[in-house]
Amino acid sequence: MDHVELTTDPIDIGAAARRFVSDECGATVTLDGYVRRYTRGRETEYLVYEAYEPMALKEMEKLIERAKAEFEISHVGIVHRLGKLEIGETSVVISVAAPHRRAAFAACEWLIKELKRTVPIWKKEVYAGGEEWIEGETPEPR
Amino acid sequence: MQVKVLFFGDAADAAGTRESPIETADEATAGAAMSALIEKHPALARHRLLFAVNEEYADAATPLADGDTLAVFTPVSGG
Repeated sequence: MDHVELTTDPIDIGAAARRFVSDECGATVTLDGYVRRYTRGRETEYLVYEAYEPMALKEMEKLIERAKAEFEISHVGIVHRLGKLEIGETSVVISVAAPHRRAAFAACEWLIKELKRTVPIWKKEVYAGGEEWIEGETPEPR
Repeated sequence: MQVKVLFFGDAADAAGTRESPIETADEATAGAAMSALIEKHPALARHRLLFAVNEEYADAATPLADGDTLAVFTPVSGG
């Protein structure tokens, strides 16, 4: 049992973090990723996130399958918010429940790195002088 | 063949549209469709572009079928 979601509503981190408490698990590691004010010396006013939604959900599901093959974990939840986000608002929550915390930490780190590389979501940074779509680092998604 | 084309993010801004259906030769590849799209929307050529066919990552060699959906976008930046 896993969970993938795209939403324009504020994300309930607490609900996400406690979604998968089950008998065989001893820890859930939750990443709360939120909008930072300063990036590369520039002050952000707000961000706008856009997604190729059906493909983003599929890629998120694929990521979870890969994570489960790679790490000894039980459940994964990925929630990504779309639309306009203010400084400090949560854009992504990844929660990983596992029998032991080490695998949960490692898988959570891996999942955010891979999400940023492969899931078709784009962020536009709006700042005082203008706006810019941010380009990801790696062009080849495989 | 009729191919449905979707643009996202910076690619949509460059193309000036989010959708741009095109007609291609039978057995065209994604690469051939991209060339046609760049002719139709020249500003696209300024960007590093990735594409997906029917919601799966594809490359220039990926064959297209009638009615397929080609999505064109810049490197992803979620998270």
